[in-house]
Amino acid sequence: MGKLRIYFAASSIVFLVVLAISPLKDFFREWKWYQYKFNDLIKELPQRIKPAEIGIKQLWVRKLDRIDRCVTCHLGLKEKALQEAEQPFRIHPHIYHDFEEFGCTMCHEGQGLSTTFKESIGKVKYWDRPIFPREYMEASCAKCHKENQVPQAPILTSGRKLIEETNCVGCHKIDGLPKQWVPSLDGIGAKVNRMWLVNWLKNPKEYFLKTKMPNFLLLDDEANILADFLMTFKTFPKGAMLDPLPTLLMNSPDAQRERLIELGSIRFREARCISCHLINGKGGYVATDLGKVANKVDVKWLYNYIKNPKRLQPGVEMPRYHFNETELAGVVAYMQSEFTEGEEGTTPPHTPDPAYYEKGLALFKKYNCSGCHELGGMKKAEEMAPELTFIGSKKLYEIDFGKSNIEQSLPSYLFTKLKAPRVFSSSMKMPNYEFSDEEAQSIAVALLGNISDAVPEEFKIYPKPSSTFKPQGDFGKLVDDLACFGCHTMFGQGRSVATDLTLEASQAQRKWIEKYFKVPYSLRPILTERMPNLFLSERESKVLVDYMEQVFLADSLERDIKIDETKIAKGKILYFEKYGCQACHQIKLKGGYVGPALDNLGSRLKAGWIFHWLKNPQAFKPESIEPNNNLSDEEAEALTAYLMTLE
Amino acid sequence: MKMFEQFFQSQVWRSMFRHGLPESDRTRAETIFYNFFLHVHPTKVRKRSVRFTYTWGLGGLSFGLFIVLTVTGALLMLYYRPSVPQAYTDMKDLQFVVSSGQFLRNMHRWAAHAMVAVVFFHMLRVFYTGSYRPPKEFNWLIGVILLVLTILLSYTGYLLPWDQLSFWGISVVTNMVRAIPFGLGEKISFLLLGGNIVGENALVRFYVLHCFIIPVVATVLMGIHFWRVRKDGGV
Repeated sequence: MGKLRIYFAASSIVFLVVLAISPLKDFFREWKWYQYKFNDLIKELPQRIKPAEIGIKQLWVRKLDRIDRCVTCHLGLKEKALQEAEQPFRIHPHIYHDFEEFGCTMCHEGQGLSTTFKESIGKVKYWDRPIFPREYMEASCAKCHKENQVPQAPILTSGRKLIEETNCVGCHKIDGLPKQWVPSLDGIGAKVNRMWLVNWLKNPKEYFLKTKMPNFLLLDDEANILADFLMTFKTFPKGAMLDPLPTLLMNSPDAQRERLIELGSIRFREARCISCHLINGKGGYVATDLGKVANKVDVKWLYNYIKNPKRLQPGVEMPRYHFNETELAGVVAYMQSEFTEGEEGTTPPHTPDPAYYEKGLALFKKYNCSGCHELGGMKKAEEMAPELTFIGSKKLYEIDFGKSNIEQSLPSYLFTKLKAPRVFSSSMKMPNYEFSDEEAQSIAVALLGNISDAVPEEFKIYPKPSSTFKPQGDFGKLVDDLACFGCHTMFGQGRSVATDLTLEASQAQRKWIEKYFKVPYSLRPILTERMPNLFLSERESKVLVDYMEQVFLADSLERDIKIDETKIAKGKILYFEKYGCQACHQIKLKGGYVGPALDNLGSRLKAGWIFHWLKNPQAFKPESIEPNNNLSDEEAEALTAYLMTLE
Repeated sequence: MKMFEQFFQSQVWRSMFRHGLPESDRTRAETIFYNFFLHVHPTKVRKRSVRFTYTWGLGGLSFGLFIVLTVTGALLMLYYRPSVPQAYTDMKDLQFVVSSGQFLRNMHRWAAHAMVAVVFFHMLRVFYTGSYRPPKEFNWLIGVILLVLTILLSYTGYLLPWDQLSFWGISVVTNMVRAIPFGLGEKISFLLLGGNIVGENALVRFYVLHCFIIPVVATVLMGIHFWRVRKDGGV
């Protein structure tokens, strides 16, 4: 019996100790030490900071249904004195939202309910959304910011732009994203030479570095078969036929041809083809590289294409230059002689695979070429790749990391997938876009932002509804013909490469616009000249200006300003002395060159426009760096009067 | 001593214990008979059934664990709300905020696991010692029902944390129930879940089953079980 009692006593003591562990653990919890440490830290500072009361603290964001206890240890988030303090006590960097209004995990992710470091980071079992690495933080902006441009989130914005431009929606479904225009392949057999096509298919970037076409990592055999298959398509969209070459181009004596080439060279420059096209690494990159175009395409196609681009390639944004026959022949002759890479080498003999058509079609389908390109009336393929609308909500267990040994997280998966699309499994078909690290990262950010998490509707900001402006009549036809929307915006429609024309008639004088169509020049000396000479006839230019005078203006910008000597004198003083405008603007080659030169301003702009612009430049151009000097009406009128004398 | 004697004579004492101190055979017997907790004892116990290695104390252990579970469970109920938006966060609060909350949860969890195991071993022991034989066959039956109730308690508690594991665990099992033929499965599963999928209704139902219905039934059956065991001379 004695032994039993000893056992009983011993087990009781063991049991008591075990029981004591729990309250002890509770007493010495991790966050308490941080709070003691914080209170010690602030005692050493010269500034007076309220010490923390010991206890769990939390941000309760009722509207978003979030409780974040990060503030239990992050005690100095609002203390300016703690700019340089060590974490977790450092002040929160300045952001565009008040963190008390939105909580922590809304942006950072992680486990807000927890009160230990490891658990709050959330890289623990059974927590799906661990804290975002700093580089991927902007993904959280996308929870509410659904609009295309989020100026405060540049990485997100550029990622979204890249997703749109690279036409990810060719293969992946992403709700609300339209498909991009991609050249149709109809007639490709009558356009390019076969060797070029094979090389292009193998590595498009070798020919044109900025092309959006990715590298499908085709084998030599595959590229050959696919090229043979594509070369069989010789009919253009809507049955358009190639016109024969004019005799001028076919067989003219050498001297005449020399003159033709010279004329072509001048017109080529005046047309400012390099605003969009790259030539041996110089120029714009909107359109393909022309450096070796004579080796790539058939002359007959080139002639027909420049004559009327949209006939062979509906929807293309290349303007139709209104050249006459000789000029057209000249430009073609010039391109033929200039943009060639030595003599055309003899192409190696090639016998196509007997079943090239079937095999080529199978390849065409395997790589979902019709996701982007039209060909032979084939239906655009359904999205064959995983949908990306809610990719940011993907759970870790749903992801197959294959044999790769990257960090097992969604950001690292997306980044790796974008950099090396087939690394997770050799059976994957996604092509290689050769994204830079920054690009891949920004796309990953935009994708991480595609989540299905329910944020209350009132927090979300949606993009403005897209413009439905579509000019009609003669003006509409010309706008289409000249592809104005390729660069200019009008009433929210079109690209913003060049000036927004919506208020052009309020801004510029009629005579000046007419003159500009004839000889376009850049208004800013530091910008490259881009507006091409479109070789418009008098009538065409009148149609354009007439329409603009009726439509592209706002009555509110009109202002009757009487220009008299006292105003001019006062304005001159304001210009040179009070506001020092010459720091940025030139008059008669004197002054800075940040802003446009103001010579001839009086014959270019309307007084009402100058007045309103001076009052608030950012109202018209939010990105303008011209300071808003808060001019009084009187001052603005005086300055306007002076500027209008610069004829 | 005088004070004690006075106390034993007082009305307070006499109203609770209506017999005298156990000094004679009669009062000794009355002490047992008139006491709710003691009356379960048999008049005599066989010597071999007192031996520890005969019973291994498994029945007593099961009951002890049941007590632990009742106490910790009642404390957990103070912090837990069986509703979809709150169930999971309440569990996180228990883990991170409530003093010794995690300890409470762990204790409840491990005691639950242990109880299933111990009850099962108890059944094996009863089987191997042949204690199910007449006249104890009725008690064996009640024991089997208690085993089922224990497993049901464990199962209904599984849903309450409302995480992925519980959601799918309950989905799987109710889908198994659905496989019962003659259209019964569908009906039973609907009755259990209060719907066709595991949702808010299922959570409330499982909560009430776990915290009220099954424990009450089990308590009643346990009373009968213990009574029968003791009256048949078991320990």
